[in-house]
Amino acid sequence: MTKLSINGLVKRFGDVAAVDSIDLEINDHELISLLGPSGCGKTTTLRCIAGFETPTAGNILFDTTDVVRLDPEKRNIGMVFQNYALFPHMTVHENLAFGLEMRGVTKTEMDGSIGKVLDTVQLTGLNDRYPNQLSGGQQQRVALARALVIEPSILLLDEPLANLDAKLREEMRFFIRHLQKRVGITTVYVTHDQAEAMVISDRIVVMFDGRIHQIGGPRDIYSRPVSREVADFIGLSNFIAAHVASGDGNGGYVLDSPLGQLRCAYAESLDDGQAVTIMVRPEAIRLEPANPAASSSNSVPGKVLERFFLGNIQGYKISCENDTVLQVQAEPWTDFAVGDPLWCVFDVEKTWIIRD
Amino acid sequence: MTTITPIVDDAREKGTGSWLRDNRTLLLLLPTLGLFLAFLLIPYLNMIVMSFRNPSTSQVFAPGFSAVNYIEAFFDEDLYYLQILWDTMIFGAGTTFLCLIIGYPVAYHLARTKSRYQSLLYAFVLSPLLVGVVVRCYGWIIILANQDGLINMTLRKYGVIETFIPLMYNTFGVGLGLVHIFLPFMILPLLGAIQSIDPALEEAAQSLGASRTKTMTRVVFPLSLPGVQAGTVLVFVLTISSYVIPILLGGLNVMIMSTLVVQQLIDAMLWPFGAALAFILSVTGAAAVYFYLKFTSRFMKGIA
Repeated sequence: MTKLSINGLVKRFGDVAAVDSIDLEINDHELISLLGPSGCGKTTTLRCIAGFETPTAGNILFDTTDVVRLDPEKRNIGMVFQNYALFPHMTVHENLAFGLEMRGVTKTEMDGSIGKVLDTVQLTGLNDRYPNQLSGGQQQRVALARALVIEPSILLLDEPLANLDAKLREEMRFFIRHLQKRVGITTVYVTHDQAEAMVISDRIVVMFDGRIHQIGGPRDIYSRPVSREVADFIGLSNFIAAHVASGDGNGGYVLDSPLGQLRCAYAESLDDGQAVTIMVRPEAIRLEPANPAASSSNSVPGKVLERFFLGNIQGYKISCENDTVLQVQAEPWTDFAVGDPLWCVFDVEKTWIIRD
Repeated sequence: MTTITPIVDDAREKGTGSWLRDNRTLLLLLPTLGLFLAFLLIPYLNMIVMSFRNPSTSQVFAPGFSAVNYIEAFFDEDLYYLQILWDTMIFGAGTTFLCLIIGYPVAYHLARTKSRYQSLLYAFVLSPLLVGVVVRCYGWIIILANQDGLINMTLRKYGVIETFIPLMYNTFGVGLGLVHIFLPFMILPLLGAIQSIDPALEEAAQSLGASRTKTMTRVVFPLSLPGVQAGTVLVFVLTISSYVIPILLGGLNVMIMSTLVVQQLIDAMLWPFGAALAFILSVTGAAAVYFYLKFTSRFMKGIA
């Protein structure tokens, strides 16, 4: 199995840097997803790994071999395309045989491998169908099988679920995840869907404007985003502008904000007076009728401005001091009326700082 | 509970009484149908009738009907007419093949280029169609003419050759003209077909280990077959029925069916025999196209 290293990768189209100096290590057996809005360079990065784009600078190593100068057909990659890119004039069997034929595999070996991989993707018996006789989900699985049957060093997936309907998309997330674990192949997965990235990945690489903002596990990315873009792109957040007042003596900080002094657990060093943004996720805020005044949490007084019910969530907009509005996602059985005075309580541990 | 009547559907199912009212769009076909009837179908039927009339030396045709013209065409002692029919088909196939191998790379490039000059290239491909066939043939005559054509004069002036090289009034000249003039009819359908092939398919082939050549032969070409089919049929049909180009660049040295037919009609005034030859050409051409389409369709499973 193969380890993938990307060092100082740059890809310019004219004056525009689609990928602007990326460093990335992907371990053996690992599934990494490149997550970001369209135009962030995630697809260009994938195409550089595949060999469809030639990098302006930097190198790409499969284990210890630099593949930048290699043609795509010599890289031994398996790739799944957004629209599947199945050969319409070939049956399922012929589609799967194509890559094996290019490798000079004998007919008997070929039939064995194809049978096995069709079994893996649960498509046994569809050998003689043409792609236009298959459903979207089946085509998707044929595309996966075609990429896997050649036993590639690296599997690349370019928004493979984007064309499926919502329900099937969710099923396929788990399907791909289990498949990747079973096969144990190093995988790069490009997506703009944060939920998909969270379900499927060992680590997520969040990209904006051709640069990597953050690399980390799903929990890391969600709870401890390093930039406002990351926090904004993944989930909902409350952002509060603040200044560092002092250390809190427990390795955290006390901050001056429009909501008064707030405390926050944050391991990295900050200067007194430094301008920062406080981030609190809407589901991290509890609503209490009275101030619990606990040392482990921040309490802010406010009034219910708006409420809305989403089934699994009772949503509120709480108007606090200095015209600050906090979004809150409470449990569905909480029941505060518009205008009710209450306290927004959030743990110091769940109050996160983003450096500006 | 009241039942809701789907007014629109109901009206459509029952019809409104008038067939014409329900199929009004068919009226749009009338002008074309009228034109076809008046200027294609009736003349064609007339030609078929003419081909069965008896020949005459003093009039256009003699009274009565017989198959004597067809017998003459098929059972002539030295198979003169069948030989010309065969030559015509070979000529058609050859021109078509040359147009295909010259036109395919052009069409592929045009379909895939991201150059900002794409529309200019497009105009180049279409430009032969903007000038009349006769004018273009005279252009070729100036270049190719055997005594004082541009090529022969230049080569002789610089002593490269002693006597002239025969560049026209032979199959070479006619073939050159035909390929040049019919090339756009090959490129345009090919262009459409290649443009409709998702470039991701080529990338998929490469990712699976196929070289550029393999990608072309195994993926791009098979998927462009509908365009190949359309282009080849178009050029073949145009070639076997062309008259102006062969007569201007080949004279009577290059004898193909259309020149032969005109010769019978105009020079010899043998209308029944000319009509029979024309009908034989039509039927042979149509049969060739029919079997060609049947044969090539076998390779187009799964496409469209």
